[in-house]
Amino acid sequence: MGLLVILTVYITGRGLGASGAVKSAVVTTADAIVPIHAHTNPYYSKFISSDKSPMYNWLVFESLGIFFGGLLSGVIFRRVKKIRVERSPKITNKTRLTAALIGGILFGIGSQFGRGCSSGAALSGSATFSFGGVIVMLVLFGTGYAIAGLFKKLWI
Amino acid sequence: MKEELFVSGRDIPNIDPYLHIWHWQIPLYLYLGGLAAGILFFATYYVIKGKEKQMQTTVKWATIIAPIALVIGLGALFWDLKHKLYFWQLYTTIRFTSPMSWGAWTLMLITPMSIVWVASYMKEMIPGWDWKFGFLNKFEVWIIKNRVPFAWIMMILAVILGVYTGILLSAFNARPLWNTSILGPLFLTSGLSTGLAAIMWMSKDEHERKTLNRIDLILILVELFLIIHLFMGFMAGSAVKTEAASLFLGGEFTVSFWVFVIILGLAFPATLEALELRGFHVPAWLPPFLILFGGLVFRFVMVEAGQITRFLY
Repeated sequence: MGLLVILTVYITGRGLGASGAVKSAVVTTADAIVPIHAHTNPYYSKFISSDKSPMYNWLVFESLGIFFGGLLSGVIFRRVKKIRVERSPKITNKTRLTAALIGGILFGIGSQFGRGCSSGAALSGSATFSFGGVIVMLVLFGTGYAIAGLFKKLWI
Repeated sequence: MKEELFVSGRDIPNIDPYLHIWHWQIPLYLYLGGLAAGILFFATYYVIKGKEKQMQTTVKWATIIAPIALVIGLGALFWDLKHKLYFWQLYTTIRFTSPMSWGAWTLMLITPMSIVWVASYMKEMIPGWDWKFGFLNKFEVWIIKNRVPFAWIMMILAVILGVYTGILLSAFNARPLWNTSILGPLFLTSGLSTGLAAIMWMSKDEHERKTLNRIDLILILVELFLIIHLFMGFMAGSAVKTEAASLFLGGEFTVSFWVFVIILGLAFPATLEALELRGFHVPAWLPPFLILFGGLVFRFVMVEAGQITRFLY
């Protein structure tokens, strides 16, 4: 991960991120369906400009690359099988997907308050000696460690 | 915003300085026309080679797409016409120097022929199928008896259709991006490749898929080769040509062209196909999906970008 960040900064002049791509997708969708709301909303409107789509963002392409790169690696190392839900044998697919959805929503909201997610704020942030990034890293793993026990049965 | 002073004795809105007359209908049609040409080419090719039995999906099932694609494509072309009721005037003349005349006549022949082709396999595809009318059954017998000559005619027409989708653009001598003779073979190759992709997506036969996979890999390499030569030609050309190429080399179409056409539409599916041939498991729908998607983006990018290139400065 560390080497990846160094390489990314060397090539692109900036760090990695993942939540930014989702944010771009959300802003684009909002702009397409409810343009007035998107333009008047103080948060959405920050990412809307008249000459370029919010999707015209390196994080979007980075995420596309992660998807296809991961797929290629999966094919080469024979990990690509039929689409399935990976979960603990003790729970149902429905429970697993609901938990994932709730977790995803919390992660999305949290990443916007924290100005980045585990890759954008914690990884790239601490790599550039950002104090905020270090705090995010500590809080992220600290909280995760503290409450992991509560959600253990989703996995094992 | 880029402002520009333009002095001309002509006042032709939507043509000078930028062409602004072709919207989504034209690239969609070029795509569907190429797709149909590709499917029909391989169907007829394997009938001529006498390999109907080994290539069932190619010869029978996949050809169902061709007439549907042609009809939707022609619908889009018709939609694009300003004076819809005058379309028949294309058929009052034959002009060998006009690509549009070639296209109109080719479509006039190949569309019904593709329907007849599918119809002639209906009894094989759906057991118990009956045409109800005696003359239709007689016609079917006659077509089945003459399948090889029929296939020859349709194969030649399919090649003309595939090439014409590119020539239609390259005949525009006022648009430097289009005005290159590589566009004909490039669009034909792309059409053949998308056609193959559609067949591969439908085929369940391992042997058939492997054969098509191999051909498709070669076609993608040829396509990349032609695209490289397209850009080499532009870069070695006059200022208007380098200007046209710069739309793809740092200009506004750079991302859509290189990311979606070259990487995701050609290079990545080619890599997956090569891996598949070497025995790796690749989801069957993935390479065809990417090739079909890349082909569609390619048509849209070429039509959009070509309209804003020009000789006048």
